[in-house]
Amino acid sequence: MEEKESSGRYICVNCGYVYDPAQGDPLNAIAPGTSFDDLPAEWVCPMCYAPCSQFDPLD
Amino acid sequence: MKPSASSLYQAVELQQEIPPLLIGERANSNGSKRFRELLLEDDYQSCLKIALDQEAKGAHVIDLCTAYAGRDELKDLTTLVRMCAQSLKAPLMIDSTTPECIEACLKIYPGRAVINSVNLEDGGVNIRRVCKAAKRYGAAVVALAIDEKGMAMTADEKFGIAKAIHDIAVDECGLRPSDLLFDCLTFTVGSGDESLREAAIETINGIRRIKKELPGCMTVLGVSNISFGLTPRARRVLNSVFLHEAVSAGLDAAIVDAAKILPLARIPEEDREVCLDLLFNRDTAQEKNPLMRFIDYFTDKAESSDDESEESAHTPEEQLFKQLVDGDKEGLEDLLSILRERLKPLAIINQVLVPAMRHVGELFGKGEILLPFVLQSAEVMKESVTALEPFMERTDGASATKVLLATVQGDVHDIGKNLVDIILSNNGYKVFNIGIKVTAETVIEKAREHDVDVIGLSGLLVKSAIVMQESMPQYREAGLDVPILLGGAALTPKFVAESCVPDYTGPVVYCGDAFAGLKAVREHEDSTLVSTVYSERSAVQTMKPGVKDTAIDRTHPVPSAPFVGRRYVEDIDPEQLFPYVNIEALFRGRWGYRRGKMGAAEYRELITTTVQPLYERLLHRTLEEGLIQPKVAYGYFPCHAEDTTVRVEVDGVRYDFAFPRQAEPPYLCIADYFKTEQEGGDIAGFFVVTIGDRIGRETAQLYEQNAYHDYLMLHGFSVEMTDALAEYWHAVMRQELGIGAEELPTQGLISQSYQGSRYGFGYPACPDLDVHQPLFAFLRPEAIGVSLTENMQMVPEQTTSAIVAHHPQAKYFAV
Repeated sequence: MEEKESSGRYICVNCGYVYDPAQGDPLNAIAPGTSFDDLPAEWVCPMCYAPCSQFDPLD
Repeated sequence: MKPSASSLYQAVELQQEIPPLLIGERANSNGSKRFRELLLEDDYQSCLKIALDQEAKGAHVIDLCTAYAGRDELKDLTTLVRMCAQSLKAPLMIDSTTPECIEACLKIYPGRAVINSVNLEDGGVNIRRVCKAAKRYGAAVVALAIDEKGMAMTADEKFGIAKAIHDIAVDECGLRPSDLLFDCLTFTVGSGDESLREAAIETINGIRRIKKELPGCMTVLGVSNISFGLTPRARRVLNSVFLHEAVSAGLDAAIVDAAKILPLARIPEEDREVCLDLLFNRDTAQEKNPLMRFIDYFTDKAESSDDESEESAHTPEEQLFKQLVDGDKEGLEDLLSILRERLKPLAIINQVLVPAMRHVGELFGKGEILLPFVLQSAEVMKESVTALEPFMERTDGASATKVLLATVQGDVHDIGKNLVDIILSNNGYKVFNIGIKVTAETVIEKAREHDVDVIGLSGLLVKSAIVMQESMPQYREAGLDVPILLGGAALTPKFVAESCVPDYTGPVVYCGDAFAGLKAVREHEDSTLVSTVYSERSAVQTMKPGVKDTAIDRTHPVPSAPFVGRRYVEDIDPEQLFPYVNIEALFRGRWGYRRGKMGAAEYRELITTTVQPLYERLLHRTLEEGLIQPKVAYGYFPCHAEDTTVRVEVDGVRYDFAFPRQAEPPYLCIADYFKTEQEGGDIAGFFVVTIGDRIGRETAQLYEQNAYHDYLMLHGFSVEMTDALAEYWHAVMRQELGIGAEELPTQGLISQSYQGSRYGFGYPACPDLDVHQPLFAFLRPEAIGVSLTENMQMVPEQTTSAIVAHHPQAKYFAV
């Protein structure tokens, strides 16, 4: 496997916002270190309000 | 003596001790793409090798077919018959519908061949000639249950045709009953077509009757037809079980790929029962019909191996199925004309094309293929149906479910509605797409005129949701009660359930995308469609992201405007916009090239080999052909805020922009980012930007031409280019205001890491388009070709507007 350990980042397909677990999401009061899978069901993209289903794994 | 076929080397009994006799099907220009390609290259040696390979894999007799449009069948077939006669130990089945070819081959073949085939399609002309030749040269004959009305469906029809052929072949032409192999033919039980639910039963009963009532005759069958439209693994099991049942009923010979047949003992009992339920249409009283149970059952079972996905198509039906799934249009016309010799156009549509589209829909639903590829499949469907239409009777398809589609009054957005049209019409439904800005009165009139079964309403705008809600009582009072499907960006299941459902008689259903629409129409056909329900308890309340501090700095200095009043800019180089295009949103969002279940490397490859080149071609066209013509109307105006209103002063006249305030903390409102009169007033920027109407016209043209894939691509490109222009112009305005000095061109694209904000009209911070009224009154964007609809929407569609706030705390939020 040439792939490096995944950074766990996800990208919003609607606007391109990247959720980086290392940063969390201050606009939704999500603490750094929260993995994408652990985001609450009601979480939406802080830029365009798209739901989790509109996110793709980034790397 | 037992009936046999023979080559130069050996005789093979047609009734094997352990039936069935296996007939290899791969040396067939209609059924095997590889064989056809070799033939087209005149590579007879490799064609021969395909025949030899099958013998090695256990075929008792080898079928040989070289018919192909544009080829000299007589030359190809006689050449290969000579070569096979020398090299093959297995006897040959000469597969042709041309009597001259059959006669020429019988003359040169050194053993006892089997002729494939005769039928009564032409009323009995060719059959007499071929049977006489068979008599003269001592050949066996396969006879298909086809007459002037087409392929026989019921056991009675199948037997009736067999009896008629028997009388001609035996009584008139002097063949023995044991020279005849009757092929009852079978239709698929995998298409969901109601009239075919008993297809397997009819075929098995047909075999039984022929064996009983035409003593001495044999039967043969192309078994795999039974399972068109199903997944490869499920097909393999179903084909095997069906073959076993057919043999039990008296089947002597099967045209199959011997390597793909599973011994019954290796099929688990449970699998077998699911297959038998489907084949014999058993337990129909259950909630799900046997086909649905079959599909569910095999979907739940994990794929045991991948080798079947590489399976190459065998018959023309399978080839067409595969090409549709792959979105491959190459050689489509030839393939369809081959199929038309065997099936009626409507049967090709209902038994091959529709099941293939259904399969595509299932793959999309499972995230295994992406929207652009679905559209390519739909193009294959459309092209096939268009090619078949001239051969169809007017009444064909008259029973299809009819759906009316419209974008509601005041709304010009039609991509969503058109995607629904593409998906529905290419799944066999009759769609009346009556366009954009359609009033409720027109919907009622057209619904009556076309006597539709379902109405689909679409609209992007927040206002369109209100229009839908308000039209519900109108539809009810007009006496309509057919289901109404609602779709659009501003709709939610909650809104539909609470605000639309109560005011209409029939079901009102929220559809999140085109496939939800397809599902709803199917449910309507099954009488299981119900209105959208919404339960507060089960529903997830989404978060409202945003800055939570309410204290907005009131002392921030107001920058000086470079000028006051409006200006038009019409000489913008499109290349300036390229760095501002949101590539990720375009590729993944607008175009649907999402990563889905792909690995990172596979997705990168898709992007570099397919998506990026597509994008670059469009950029190239933009520059070479003037695809987009960016124009801007903008200006800076003195203003002050008063609660939620921004009051703008232009040439001594006041224009009020009333903005909404959030209903919960932190209660943000656009007006808060502007100073009040007491604070000394402020400066507001406004713009209307458009990329012109040409790209919209080209997009519409692609849709008209059924170029679905390119349609979606160009539409998405135009949307993101419009946004890129807005982003670019916002950057220009920040420079002019002296607040963008330290920016890199595109750093703020997604994260808004620049000072201030542009709030688009119609977007989350200001969903209502009524603010366009004051804006148009003083900015007068008509000068750059932009006008308003009665619903405050801008035309052309590729236009966007905004108010520009310079305040550093101004960021995106939603009311």
